Amino acid sequence: MVSRTSARTAEVGLTRGQVRERRRLRLGPLSGLSHVALVVWTVLVVVPIVWTFLASVKSEDEIFGSAWSLPATPRWDNWARAWDQAHVGRYMLNSVVVVSLGTAGTMLFGAMAAYVLARYRFRGNRAVYLLFVSGLAFPVYLALTPLFFVVRNMGNLPLIGPLIGLDSYGGLVLVYIAYSLPFTVFFLSAFFRTLPQAVAEAAFVDGASHSRVFFQIMLPLARPGIVSITIFNVLGQWNQYQIPLVLLSGQAKDKWVLTQGIADISTAAGYDADWAALFAALSMAILPMLIVYTIFQRQIQAGLTAGALK
Amino acid sequence: MSNGTKPPFFMNRTAFTRARFIIGFLAVPVLLYLVYVISPYAQAFSIAMTDWRGVNAEPGFVGAANFRRLLDDNVFWTAVRHNGLLLVLMPLGTLVIALFFAFLLNAGGPRGVSGVRGARFYRVVFFFPQVLAVAIVAVLFQQVFRPDESGMLNAPLMALGLEPVGFLSDPGVAFWSILGVLIWQAVGFYVVLFSAGMASIPRDLYEAAQIDGATRGRLFFRVTLPLLWDTVQVGWIYLGIAALDVFAIVWVMTAEHGGPDHSTTVMAAEIYRNAFQYFKFGYASAMGVVLFFFTVAFAVVALRLSRRERVEF
Amino acid sequence: MADKSISRRELLRSAAVTGLLLPGALAACASPGGGGSRTPAAAATGATSAANPLGIAETSPFEVVIFDGGFGDAYARNIHQPLFAARHPSAQIKHSATKEIAKTLQPRFAGGNPPEFVNNSGDNAMDFGALAQDGQLQDLGALLDAPSWDDPAMKVRDTILPSAVELGTYDGTYCVLNYANTVWGIWYSTKLFGDNGWQVPKTWDEFTALCETIQKSGTCAPFTYAGKHPFYIYETILTLAAKIGGVEVLKNIDNLAPDAWKAEPVAKAAEAFAELGAKYLLRGTEGLDHIQTQTAHNKYQVAMLPCGSWLENEQKDTTPADFGYAMFPLPSFSESDALPYGTLHSRPGEEFFVAARSANPRAGMEYMRAMLSKEGAGKFSELVSTLTIVKGAADGRTLKPGLRSAAGRLKEAGENVTYFRFRQWYKELHDEVAAATGQLMAGRLKVAQWAERVQRKSDEIKNDTSVKKFTRA
Repeated sequence: MVSRTSARTAEVGLTRGQVRERRRLRLGPLSGLSHVALVVWTVLVVVPIVWTFLASVKSEDEIFGSAWSLPATPRWDNWARAWDQAHVGRYMLNSVVVVSLGTAGTMLFGAMAAYVLARYRFRGNRAVYLLFVSGLAFPVYLALTPLFFVVRNMGNLPLIGPLIGLDSYGGLVLVYIAYSLPFTVFFLSAFFRTLPQAVAEAAFVDGASHSRVFFQIMLPLARPGIVSITIFNVLGQWNQYQIPLVLLSGQAKDKWVLTQGIADISTAAGYDADWAALFAALSMAILPMLIVYTIFQRQIQAGLTAGALK
Repeated sequence: MSNGTKPPFFMNRTAFTRARFIIGFLAVPVLLYLVYVISPYAQAFSIAMTDWRGVNAEPGFVGAANFRRLLDDNVFWTAVRHNGLLLVLMPLGTLVIALFFAFLLNAGGPRGVSGVRGARFYRVVFFFPQVLAVAIVAVLFQQVFRPDESGMLNAPLMALGLEPVGFLSDPGVAFWSILGVLIWQAVGFYVVLFSAGMASIPRDLYEAAQIDGATRGRLFFRVTLPLLWDTVQVGWIYLGIAALDVFAIVWVMTAEHGGPDHSTTVMAAEIYRNAFQYFKFGYASAMGVVLFFFTVAFAVVALRLSRRERVEF
Repeated sequence: MADKSISRRELLRSAAVTGLLLPGALAACASPGGGGSRTPAAAATGATSAANPLGIAETSPFEVVIFDGGFGDAYARNIHQPLFAARHPSAQIKHSATKEIAKTLQPRFAGGNPPEFVNNSGDNAMDFGALAQDGQLQDLGALLDAPSWDDPAMKVRDTILPSAVELGTYDGTYCVLNYANTVWGIWYSTKLFGDNGWQVPKTWDEFTALCETIQKSGTCAPFTYAGKHPFYIYETILTLAAKIGGVEVLKNIDNLAPDAWKAEPVAKAAEAFAELGAKYLLRGTEGLDHIQTQTAHNKYQVAMLPCGSWLENEQKDTTPADFGYAMFPLPSFSESDALPYGTLHSRPGEEFFVAARSANPRAGMEYMRAMLSKEGAGKFSELVSTLTIVKGAADGRTLKPGLRSAAGRLKEAGENVTYFRFRQWYKELHDEVAAATGQLMAGRLKVAQWAERVQRKSDEIKNDTSVKKFTRA
């Protein structure tokens, strides 16, 4: 490409319109290529998802037949079967309850801890921070058995026990919060560290308390971080399978979350699984997330950018 | 936190309210975390020194025997090697692709200061894989990679008269297929994240650079990347940790759970196998401890490398 | 000052809460063992009588956990439980079904609060070695000696296959009920074979000739197996090895004998199937799973595949009505085979056990007695198209063609039945054999390398003191 200086001299004496025209020409071929790249990636992303939806209205041997074939007749009874077998309605509601509470709690406590760790110097700060970050490093399923006992014993606490023991929403929510903290604290404290201090300092001078500075100044400033981590946590908790499997037993089926319902009709070993219904149930699980994301993406984007623009 | 344990007469009022604030804010999250995360993990750590088989009452203490056995466990070290590769390649691939797309979407437009046409659409669609549960992704890609004319990738290949590729059945290829899926799933979030970061870069910086005649590539390396570096680093650390933690995709998607012939296995899969298939919880926990230290070491190194100035009150 | 004291009180309070809760929670998770719950409450019992020979407490509830796999759980809900309830109306059955046996139940066993009756089966089952090691398995001796459900004059022991007792015995105690009787063989479509005039091969030469004919005819591929799960093909290799060299071959393998995998019959059988793999497999076999290959079979894209007798039930939704499932035994390898034509791999499988430390183990055993009735077993066979260990239970029942074929072959085989047990005893060995056999079939391992590799794993397990060893005579 032309060197910077020669490019600049070349532009001397040209009208503004000519400059723009030049620039457009220079970017032209690249622009075409980049469109190709974007379209290719879109196809890579969309095709498998569309395939899932198609499979959900195919018959069993159409699913295992040719990958690109369309269903002969759409079989909506797959959806009906999945709705009944996987109790999608009931379980989705449970998932919504657990994930809303879980994410709300995670964001509140995670932001509080991250803020303190990011902006206050005190003895043990580094240790507490590393304690949280180290939680990222251990596979959840190794802790499943001990976790089962912890939750069971929490259930024996006086008064609040039944609300947070095994087979309870409360127990699951607290566990979700605890297991979402490492990532949340890790990511948010990075965010809080980059925030400007001038506004906060001014507020302190005006006599604002620490918590007021946090809730009224720093938290709004950290909105882009909060928004993206909230998405992450909602997705993570929505798709969580191992923890509810252990904490919500077969005796508490009315409390099961959606992933358990889906696993109930799917199977890793693939015995006599109802594959068509499985894909229908998967579609039912995907669809609300896609819709919610698509509806809120404007707000999410706005949240991300508004905050970042300061 | 230790400030709170000092006798109060050392403190003036501000110091005290400050300490109270710190403790007040940390108490609940730390408590929850200790009870539900650290205590089970501590348990798992102590199990690593036993021969616990998951159902028996009194696990026998075996000291470091599990760790000594680990040294000779070829499969485990194969898994470690795979994790090492993932640790480098997964963040690299994901970040490069995500930066490329984010840049196109934000500064790829005809004037270099706006996104390409349809940027909003792409940003929405690219995020979709992130929305899918890992189990769904695994089932999906089994279909994508099928080795016969029913496979989404092999169908066109075979229609062209080419030999089908054993994306998941050829031990030389399977690992790369897995890597592809991991990157496929991760890119979307970082496109959105970097987009947000890029949107916050003041337009006039771009305009100025453009007046200077900077090409788009130069715009990216001179303006965008340096201003985005913090976000990229955070992304890199998180992806690195995620790479050490890869599990479900491998377990659900591959033959023999990490095969064929251990060609795709990772530490987490070996841990799971030893715990829930062989019921060697002691041995599996020992592997877990090793994985834990690998991850902590990575995090410490990465944090040290990316250490930046802190603003503190 | 007031402000300060309040905050100090708050501080103390939060410290106290932390201090109080934490040790409790930490101590609480002093699992495995779970704090004092080791000694189970005295097991519920009742007076024995002719109607209640095992002496169950008629009003005590108990839990039944079914593995929701190939058989589903309808057989338990609709056949066995009503049968049980008819005789013991006051004993409440708490039924649940799961695909994740290990993860949902293992903590309960470790915590001393297991369900009474468990169908411990499938890919996510709990390890029987571990359960046996810790005495979690109820001794079912009393069940064997109890009068059978149908005929008070006959003991349960005499109504079931003797091999079921042998296979359910761990360390000299009968403690696992293997309920289904599985038969393995090569499956084909009578329609496809009839239409093309293909004959069931009886010798290995006929078998390879048939493969050649099918290949040349261009109708479909000759042979396939569940490539993603090489168990399906190492099963045939081992059965052929037993046919060539006799039952001792498999006993040596099960007993982790030195060089058991390098024995000549094993090498011959492996070589034979490796050649088959190189020439006659359906394209892409090594990357397909059992459902995919079986569906290809149903679509007449391939002529033969090895499988167990659950196949027909598994494929019931994709099998064309006139497909005509049937199976034949492995062809004879040569004149000098140790076992005659018709020899089959058949063994009781699908494990059920009663938790020894549960509250009401007697009820679990009584439930098993109901399962072993003619009605319970017969209807099970009808529903899930699988034979059981109850002698003659399937007689007079309407069986689907595939099961009828399998039952016929089993009858013809008579005493010539083989099986191997290391898959249940040493899952690690099973995994290594599967991995190596996949590579053998794909042509990436030579037979000698394959044997070398598997033998090394076998020796490794033999020398591993942490793994409980079993032997068969």
